[in-house]
Amino acid sequence: MSQKAGKKGEFHVVNHSVPRRDGRAKVTGKATYVSDVKLTGMAYAKVLRSPYAHAKILSIDASGAASRPGIYCVITGNDLEGLDPYYGHAVKDHPLLAIGKVRYVGEPVAAAVAVDERTAFEALEHIEVKYEELKAVLTPEDAIAKDAPLLHEKKFEAGALRGFEGEVAAGRGTNICQEAHIKWGDVEAAFKKAAAVVEGEYYFPMTYAYAMEAYVAIADVNDNGVTVYSSAQHPFMVRHDLKSIFNLPVSQVRLIVPFVGGGYGSKSYTKIEPLAAACSWKAKRPVKLQLTIEEAMLTTRSDDAYTWMRTAVNADGKIIARQARIYMNTGAYAENSPLVVEKSTNRCVGPYSIPNVQIDNCSFYTNTVPASSYRGFGCAQVTLPGESQIDELAAKIGKDPYEFRLANVAKPGEEFFPKMRSFDGTLKEDLDIAAKAIGWKEPLAKGRGRSVACSGSDAGAYPLTSTAVRVHADGSVTILTGSTELGQGSHTVIPQIAAEELGVPFENVHVVSSDTAITPYDRSTGASRTTTLMGSAVLEASREAIQQMVVMAADVLKVKVEQIQAIRGGVRCGEAQLNWSEVISKFYGLPDGEVIGRSYIRKSGKFAQLPVFWETACTGVEVSVDQETGKIAVEKLATVGDVGLAINPALAEGQDLGAATMGMGIGLFEELIYQGPQLMNGSILDYRLPRFSDLPKQVELHLVENQDGVGPYGAKGGGEASLNSMAANIANAVERAVGVRIRSAPLTPEKVWRALKERKQ
Amino acid sequence: MMPLRRFQIHQPKTVKEAAEMLSHYGEKGRLYAGGTELLLAMKHDLLRYEHLVDVKTVPGLDEIEIGNASLHIGTTVTHRAIEQSVPVREKFPVLAEMANHVANVRVRSTGTLGGNLCFAEPHSDPATLLLALQAHVHVQGRSGERTLGMEELIVGAYETTLATDELLIGIDIPRIAKSQRAAYLKFQTHERPTLGLALVLDVDGNGRSITKARAAVGSVSPKPCRSDQADALLAGPRDKVEKQLDDAAKVLADAADPVDDLEGSAEYKRHLIGVYLRRAFVKALA
Repeated sequence: MSQKAGKKGEFHVVNHSVPRRDGRAKVTGKATYVSDVKLTGMAYAKVLRSPYAHAKILSIDASGAASRPGIYCVITGNDLEGLDPYYGHAVKDHPLLAIGKVRYVGEPVAAAVAVDERTAFEALEHIEVKYEELKAVLTPEDAIAKDAPLLHEKKFEAGALRGFEGEVAAGRGTNICQEAHIKWGDVEAAFKKAAAVVEGEYYFPMTYAYAMEAYVAIADVNDNGVTVYSSAQHPFMVRHDLKSIFNLPVSQVRLIVPFVGGGYGSKSYTKIEPLAAACSWKAKRPVKLQLTIEEAMLTTRSDDAYTWMRTAVNADGKIIARQARIYMNTGAYAENSPLVVEKSTNRCVGPYSIPNVQIDNCSFYTNTVPASSYRGFGCAQVTLPGESQIDELAAKIGKDPYEFRLANVAKPGEEFFPKMRSFDGTLKEDLDIAAKAIGWKEPLAKGRGRSVACSGSDAGAYPLTSTAVRVHADGSVTILTGSTELGQGSHTVIPQIAAEELGVPFENVHVVSSDTAITPYDRSTGASRTTTLMGSAVLEASREAIQQMVVMAADVLKVKVEQIQAIRGGVRCGEAQLNWSEVISKFYGLPDGEVIGRSYIRKSGKFAQLPVFWETACTGVEVSVDQETGKIAVEKLATVGDVGLAINPALAEGQDLGAATMGMGIGLFEELIYQGPQLMNGSILDYRLPRFSDLPKQVELHLVENQDGVGPYGAKGGGEASLNSMAANIANAVERAVGVRIRSAPLTPEKVWRALKERKQ
Repeated sequence: MMPLRRFQIHQPKTVKEAAEMLSHYGEKGRLYAGGTELLLAMKHDLLRYEHLVDVKTVPGLDEIEIGNASLHIGTTVTHRAIEQSVPVREKFPVLAEMANHVANVRVRSTGTLGGNLCFAEPHSDPATLLLALQAHVHVQGRSGERTLGMEELIVGAYETTLATDELLIGIDIPRIAKSQRAAYLKFQTHERPTLGLALVLDVDGNGRSITKARAAVGSVSPKPCRSDQADALLAGPRDKVEKQLDDAAKVLADAADPVDDLEGSAEYKRHLIGVYLRRAFVKALA
């Protein structure tokens, strides 16, 4: 009855770059973010943070602050009786305020709630905290040492929503947070018979995701339950943590997420919502907690990774083995790092067909800012070593690295990763486009080098998503979606799919999103899953609405259902033709009322096998190196997103450009620097982000659309993959430009200069 | 950045009144002349003042005047005004170009030359160039006025020789003669420069020899720095000076004594002084 999925070129609304829905509101400052929300009687909180990396809290005296004018209350770890103050979807190790001890510099110790933010802030220095300093653990090496102090003394159960099937390693009397291992074939034997082997140690830095909007939450805890407005990517996951903290039924916890000013993984899972809610609980009024960027930098970061890797090739130029050992530094609390460990282990294999593989990965608790999700999800950490070694190996056997990749990448439909979905991309085509775009075979100026690189990620997270598509009596449509608009364009792409299916104008389809009391369940907005999973749910719900309206049309026309034919935007029966507005109005006998199409996606049918899809992209760069200073400039950039079908090509390309720019930032300058327990560059004055002036003059953005994904019309997710290969790409291009191999990011001018100097000596 | 703590802003009408206010508030007060550094430090809770004395309200301190012998820039002239001043662009192109590259356009539109010098942030572009250009600053306090060279004004990181009641009211820069060539270059990857290097050369008519040189290096250490010995090595026949550039850079680096920080190691900065002295030399004589 419903229309068949179309082929590229046949679509009316999807696969068109309609202007983004929220664009005008955002650029004119009219879009509502959490910081714009004001509730009646709302108070403001500010947070006192730990000056120590690891210390016992001996006492807290908040009386000096609590008695100041304008202060409603001060809350500390001693005031949490009646709550279950620990949260964490993977490991429940994170207290909403430090309890008994602090585990990193910047950890929240107390919060003052006041009539305004300044009054709250000025009260903080009147809270007296006595600490007894403990020895700090700052690196995996420290964490593993025999006499290393333990960060967490408690035992932890694995969280039911941790997102993977394995157990968690945290809380077993060591500083290990999580381990992951994969193994197939016979690695030792393969390395023995290899024609060539490369081996090296690599470091991927701690980075900060820098969303322009820092974390903000407004909580209202009262007898009716808990309501929180938050800048959260995954409101339903946060709801689960709040339900457990306040011991409430799901129906009494409500998360509302308006526009989010960028996430990049940093706003996935629970962040400041429990603290904001506890402040409201104690102050007995709505409380707003808005962090500054500097505070956000003390809230989450990416895991830094120390990787030893070796890769072997046979005499025919086929990669026969890869082995890696990774130590990740996950900071003071697990957050989502157990899943990052799991994913980075898988992603070490890259999108290559390798018969012998062994990857051992271990993450450690340290007294640093807790690490969690970060765009690419552990992939960038291991693609720096992985894609560096592809070039190193090609050089060693005298092959062109582009040709070498072509000979080794997974082929469409190949089961290259045991027990996972077979490969659903076309990497040879992607690589070819990237290489052409940067002029791979063209002559190079002195001091310049090019590189093409790729990555493959088991993406899409867990397939659990539901939606409702409401068709109104005037034929317009409201979609209820739990997917959060983070800037990625979900509020544009989702209505495009419904408009395509229902045959109604795009302008008449609107979205209500991310209110857990209203919108049906969606597990998360991350892992590039929204277009594929929410998109599929919206497509199915639209078709379910059509089915209902066909039945209604039969009733209206007094014919059998089989006699009704669904056509674009309505139905036909013989000569009679009705659009959806007519069907609904005639059915109800009033020009009002609605039809609700519903759908859910679960791990079954075409989504039974994980990953939901392989997120694949290639990037190509040309760099120039100032050999006197070591400064690198990226002169050309090409991205190739292997997205199956772009529902909105301009938005897909924009995501790729953003991801590649973020990856370039890691390749060139981004790194959180610790000196001892102190974060030295914890502000955007000192943490160097990419600027417009860093962008290459020549940029080409390409999409490959073979409709080979499991999502709507063959779509797959995108938006992370172009980040993953960028650091390796820059390192490879520098090697080809000036002959030095750098195995750690970022490739700062000084680092490049030192490498050049060493080579001279 | 945190909410600004409460403070009072005072708007004097004259320099004398400003000096009185500064004297009256002492440690609790600070001169405010744009605030691009000061307010940032206050928002990061690194500095606290209960009183700010807004010198921008004093008339007559925001003028640029070109005289026969020198250029006078009032203390509250913004970087943007310097960058866009036609006479400065014509007669002091090196100064206009430097101003054009101070921080970003928002800072340039608000930040003032006097504020920049008095805050004595070690990465100041103007301080380094003005040291090479032999600028003088006029300072006024309750008991009168005095004139200081750049080396007498800035004595360390965030440290000047201004007394509590004194404020900088203007800067005088000697005219750049026809026989003089000047260049200011910087190396920057972070928010602030890793290195700034200014070079002023007096050349003879045909440009084949350098009769006098003055180099200054900034950002690498707590304050802008120069060296008579380095300047001596930079004078002489051009081909001879070219051979001595590395030696001059080494002497200049010794004098500057670079520090290790987030912008780079001392060793790297010493290397950069060599690279940039050569580049500035080439640029000045181009």
